[in-house]
Amino acid sequence: MTLRSNFAAFAGRSSYWFLHTFMKGGSSLPGKITTKIDPDILKHLGQNYDVIVITGTNGKTLTTALTVRVLNQKYDHILTNPTGSNMEQGIVTTFLRAPKVKGARPIAVLEVDEANVIKVTKYIKPKAFVFTNIFRDQMDRYGEIYTTYQKILDGVALAPEATIIANGDAPIFHSKHLPNPMIFYGFAHEAEHDIKAKPNTDGVLCPNCQHILHYRYITYSNLGKYFCPNCGFERPELAYTVTKLNELTPTSSTFEVDHNPMKIEIGGLYNIYNALAAYAVGRFLDVTPAQIETAFSEDKKVFGRQEVINLDGKQVTLILVKNPVGLNQVLDMISTDKAPFSFVGLLNANYADGIDTSWIWDGNFEQLPHLNVPAFITGGERYKDITFRLKVAGVPDDKHQVVPELKDVIEKIKTLPTEHVYVLATYTAVLQLRKLLADQGYIKEGMGE
Amino acid sequence: MTYELNVAHLYGDLMNTYGDVGNILALNYYAKQMDVKLNVEVVSLGQPFDANKYDMGFFGGGQDFEQVIVSKDIQAKKAALTDFIEDDGPVLAICGGYQLLGHYYVDAKGDKIPGIGALDHYTLAQDHNRFIGDIVIKNEETGETYHGFENHQGRTFLGNGERALGNVLEGKGNNGEDGTEGAIYKNTFCSYFHGPILTRNGNLAKRLLIAALKRRYPDADLTTQEALPIAATF
Repeated sequence: MTLRSNFAAFAGRSSYWFLHTFMKGGSSLPGKITTKIDPDILKHLGQNYDVIVITGTNGKTLTTALTVRVLNQKYDHILTNPTGSNMEQGIVTTFLRAPKVKGARPIAVLEVDEANVIKVTKYIKPKAFVFTNIFRDQMDRYGEIYTTYQKILDGVALAPEATIIANGDAPIFHSKHLPNPMIFYGFAHEAEHDIKAKPNTDGVLCPNCQHILHYRYITYSNLGKYFCPNCGFERPELAYTVTKLNELTPTSSTFEVDHNPMKIEIGGLYNIYNALAAYAVGRFLDVTPAQIETAFSEDKKVFGRQEVINLDGKQVTLILVKNPVGLNQVLDMISTDKAPFSFVGLLNANYADGIDTSWIWDGNFEQLPHLNVPAFITGGERYKDITFRLKVAGVPDDKHQVVPELKDVIEKIKTLPTEHVYVLATYTAVLQLRKLLADQGYIKEGMGE
Repeated sequence: MTYELNVAHLYGDLMNTYGDVGNILALNYYAKQMDVKLNVEVVSLGQPFDANKYDMGFFGGGQDFEQVIVSKDIQAKKAALTDFIEDDGPVLAICGGYQLLGHYYVDAKGDKIPGIGALDHYTLAQDHNRFIGDIVIKNEETGETYHGFENHQGRTFLGNGERALGNVLEGKGNNGEDGTEGAIYKNTFCSYFHGPILTRNGNLAKRLLIAALKRRYPDADLTTQEALPIAATF
């Protein structure tokens, strides 16, 4: 440890203590101070840890949280970064505030933004990477899926010995030959056919010969047991598989992994992928399936992302939506509700939401009019866009109220005809709505993570 | 329904970024109100474009990688697509689709990717910059104003026989220099607009549908269709 690293770490820790104690916050500033004094600080901070880096477009946060729970079944000291602190500075802060550990080598499970992988691997050689998926994200800010994957690989190239634990159902993760050991997970739950993805699906070209991929089955988007009828490119051998889906509801999923029954207290097929990824990391580090099952069922708070708010008797589920694939998964998930429900769509287009609202047209809202949904509300700063989207999807005007202001939306929700209400909202709309609900005492202030 | 139109969604499985499929959904929405049944088919890699079968074409934008693959494949459809366009067939082409109907475009890496030259424009790259943001244009002939969102690296320059879809009121347009946005040639309409264009500009959807109906049903009385009011959606 150099004198400079020591001083940098001291300065960072002090600033964290100060910010945390007196300012009630500060997740990236201590990291900034520390890296300013010693740009190589991560090397010093991370060298004593077995590091697992989790990256990809969707599912990073829950996969990270679940992985921590799973590894906690066997290991005592697991360090992880809080939600949203997935860039370089936030990661430095995470290490800075870690308690000193004696004895066994501690593990760090880090959620890392796709473009920041290289900033981590420059200093730390992880034991493993987890790749969840790569989908089209808000395109005014992120690039195309191939560019995003290349950014991740640029980071991985600095750690050629790290094992890659990747979603085997995503063709892109099998498109480049890498020196790293690879472990794939995926779904093996369905009878096999010969089908193609829906026309409006991204990433369906064979990486070898550029013909359109076919599938034996598709779980969602372009994920599934793919193969190329032209050149024989196909899904790699899977080490860990979902072997059966039992019951899927908006609030829970029961399924089997390698024939072991599992349950998670959250809906959505995409979350089963997150659980499967955590299972794969657990097995990679010798956690038993029984321990993993316990980890999934023990701590329900981990699934806090879908917040359920009691609004004068209405059970309001608030769900963040930010890109087409995520949106479609949420629409599929709420469609598993056996009770009738009301649908609320809140659209903003600030920088954090993505300033281009075109992506809502990739969402399959067309399924909504066919479900048991007696009432719809659309609102938010871009209420006109989301209102017309539902009109085109076939939502009848007599069931559809247009309520631009969020404070009025809250009042209208109280008068809806169903107990279940799903509110799908973009990032800043979620923040604004939560602020209003907090002011009215329905929830506590903060993001609730 | 009284009328029926066949729409070719060119490379709908590869050229589908930025919600461009919303244009098909909007066409369908207005078509229903005009007593028209729309049959949409994806025409993709290795499949011929049958100019006699289709009444309209839609060609969206794609990612760089997909567009290069499409650029190779579309050469086999060049003759049929050009015939269709020359024969007043209505086409809407957005972003990458717009570029590929022209002579060529230069991509972000500096490679020159050939189009089919059915229209006379060409597209150059710009260094480390994209035109991103809301855009408003006005077509002086029709007096119509169009709203959209542009997000493009290419700078397109119009050629012989092409008119702009509109003059830029807010935003950058074709190239950020000459104040034009998009292109019109016969019944082919091109634009960089996302949003998608037809969801925010129902008048243009109506224009395309009327053109297709007149061509397919030359003797039909389309008075009610032409009188369809288009409510503002944006």
